Amino acid sequence: MAGRVLDAGLHLLDRQLVDRDGRLAGKVDDLELTFPDGGGPPRVTAILVGPAALGRRLGGRLGAWVEAVANRLGDGEDRRPARVSFAVVKRIGSAVELSAPKAELETDRLEAWTRDHVIGHLPGASDAPD
Amino acid sequence: MKRFVAVALGILTAIGGFVDIGDIVANAETGARFGMSLAWVVVVGVIGICLFAEMAGRVATVSGRAVFDLVRERLGARVALVNLGASFFITFLTLAAEIGGVALAIELATSVNYLLWVPIVAFLVWLVVWRVKFDVMENVFGLAGLALVVAAVALWRLGPDWGGLLHGATHPAVPQGESHPTWWFFAIALLGAAMTPYEVFFFSSGAVEEGWSRADLITNRLNVYLGFPLGGLLSLTLMAGATLFLEPRGIQPGHLSQVALPTLLVLGKLGLAVLLVGFFAATFGAALETGLSCGYSIAQYFGFQWGKFVRPADAPRFHLITLVSITAGAGLVLTTVDPITVTEYSIVLSAAALPLTYFPILVVANDPDYMGDKVNSWFTNALGSLYLVLLLVVAVATIPLMILTKAGS
Amino acid sequence: MRRSTAVVGVLLLLGGCTGPVRSVNVYESKAGRTAEVAASAVQTALLAVEAADGGKAHGRYLTQVLVEAEEDATSAQGTFDAIQPPDRRADALRVRLDGLLGEATENLAELRIAARRGHLAELPELARPLPEVAEQLASFAEAHG
Repeated sequence: MAGRVLDAGLHLLDRQLVDRDGRLAGKVDDLELTFPDGGGPPRVTAILVGPAALGRRLGGRLGAWVEAVANRLGDGEDRRPARVSFAVVKRIGSAVELSAPKAELETDRLEAWTRDHVIGHLPGASDAPD
Repeated sequence: MKRFVAVALGILTAIGGFVDIGDIVANAETGARFGMSLAWVVVVGVIGICLFAEMAGRVATVSGRAVFDLVRERLGARVALVNLGASFFITFLTLAAEIGGVALAIELATSVNYLLWVPIVAFLVWLVVWRVKFDVMENVFGLAGLALVVAAVALWRLGPDWGGLLHGATHPAVPQGESHPTWWFFAIALLGAAMTPYEVFFFSSGAVEEGWSRADLITNRLNVYLGFPLGGLLSLTLMAGATLFLEPRGIQPGHLSQVALPTLLVLGKLGLAVLLVGFFAATFGAALETGLSCGYSIAQYFGFQWGKFVRPADAPRFHLITLVSITAGAGLVLTTVDPITVTEYSIVLSAAALPLTYFPILVVANDPDYMGDKVNSWFTNALGSLYLVLLLVVAVATIPLMILTKAGS
Repeated sequence: MRRSTAVVGVLLLLGGCTGPVRSVNVYESKAGRTAEVAASAVQTALLAVEAADGGKAHGRYLTQVLVEAEEDATSAQGTFDAIQPPDRRADALRVRLDGLLGEATENLAELRIAARRGHLAELPELARPLPEVAEQLASFAEAHG
């Protein structure tokens, strides 16, 4: 995965994240850039997912509103954006394909919470769609 | 043979699924007030929705992803968020209107106050969304919606002055004693009813739900080009019924029961019963579609798993959003606001938001990254662009006209 | 967000004026509009009775239509009566319209009561005065709309 030059805005941001099993895992809401110790241009080290990340990137009133939504949805620890290390990225096509299953990613936090506390309790939640 | 049945089913479902509470209210009220002079608007609306639904279906079929899903990638997070906001709000309002419509249809059949039916309807809508397989859901309610054809049968049995009706339709003119702004306002409402945004998201997401692939492109086109126009014709039948029975008597239909009068007077109790089944199926089907669309639009923007093609446990936020939307929609109806009024607002506001919701479709359908060699033809683009200009004019005119005509009173 | 609240506010204001109206013309057009709504309700009832006469409808649907017709006429009258007439000329208008509206609502109530009791056979007789009432309401609406 190293070394390929991409236009981050065009090919990375707002792209769909797809996990190892083909399931949808969020969008690339923002990117974590790290400046290497030896100097030089920053490298993308992680993908940030979630309304917190998105709100920050959007900026302005719209962004502030999205961030407010994020704050409502989690508290404390949960408020920081979900981070997907770039090492997990398998392939960048029209979607960004990851080599890990959804459950192992931080992005699944809210999904898991919803599943455990609400949807999972409803009868038939685990039934395969025929 | 099997192929033929599948295609026929698709077309019939499209016809039966085209009409919803917005079309029922808009066509009946317009027919009663302006006769057939605004029939051309339905034609314009049907062409528009055919054009964009085909595009949205093609995008989903070729790229495997729903249009709304791609809007954010293609147009950026900001534009897509504004689009989402407007689309979700209107779809939610339409959902409330449909739930109200179902309750009204049942009230008409049972004489039990519609408010008592609202919670039951909301629960049933959710239950079907939760449990019933997507294509079964579509087929059952789409076909049942065909019961509305009884209105056309009533028209036929009546043997009205077809020439007169046709003349009214082909010579659009503001009737005596009515103001031009009101006429145009009703035109906008009719257009909003025919081109409601949720129909396009749903069609696109539905193509992904049903796993359409390139092989289904032709089926997609047939469903749209045959099904929707015939559905539009069904809407016009309601307009004609109102023109023949309600307009001459100066009756303004503010209740579903009045919309049913023409069919009742020609075909009696049986006709009414069939019509009520049609009303129920059309509104219930639309409630399912708008409920799901509330979930689709948000899930597709934020990128979390959506759809009925996975286990509910694998798309928890999608299902939660759908559940909350349906509950909130029912809540809105339970405030005892007249469901017909909610419907009227939903179609007018739909008209105002049409360019916002349709523009991204045109953009995405032209992108070779997703569409490969199936991008729009120059003709589709020309017509699509023309429509966008029209929709922009309509959008700009909507609120001023609404204020000027006091919402068409 | 604020702008749309303002729009909604304007719409609500326009839709729900029940205080005094400034000119007699506005009052007149509201009177005309009220007559239109009442005429529509009366005509609806007449159509329903026509259906009943032909044995074309069952009691439940008919009752529904008649209840709604009565509600429409009554609420139109209520809304109109709440408006303060601006001057004497408006007073005369009000008296005339109220007379017509009263007749309409009275008849519609009788129809509704009979339908609720299941006395469908009585409906055509009870509806006899209605065409006249509808006619008068329509000409009132025409003259003052």
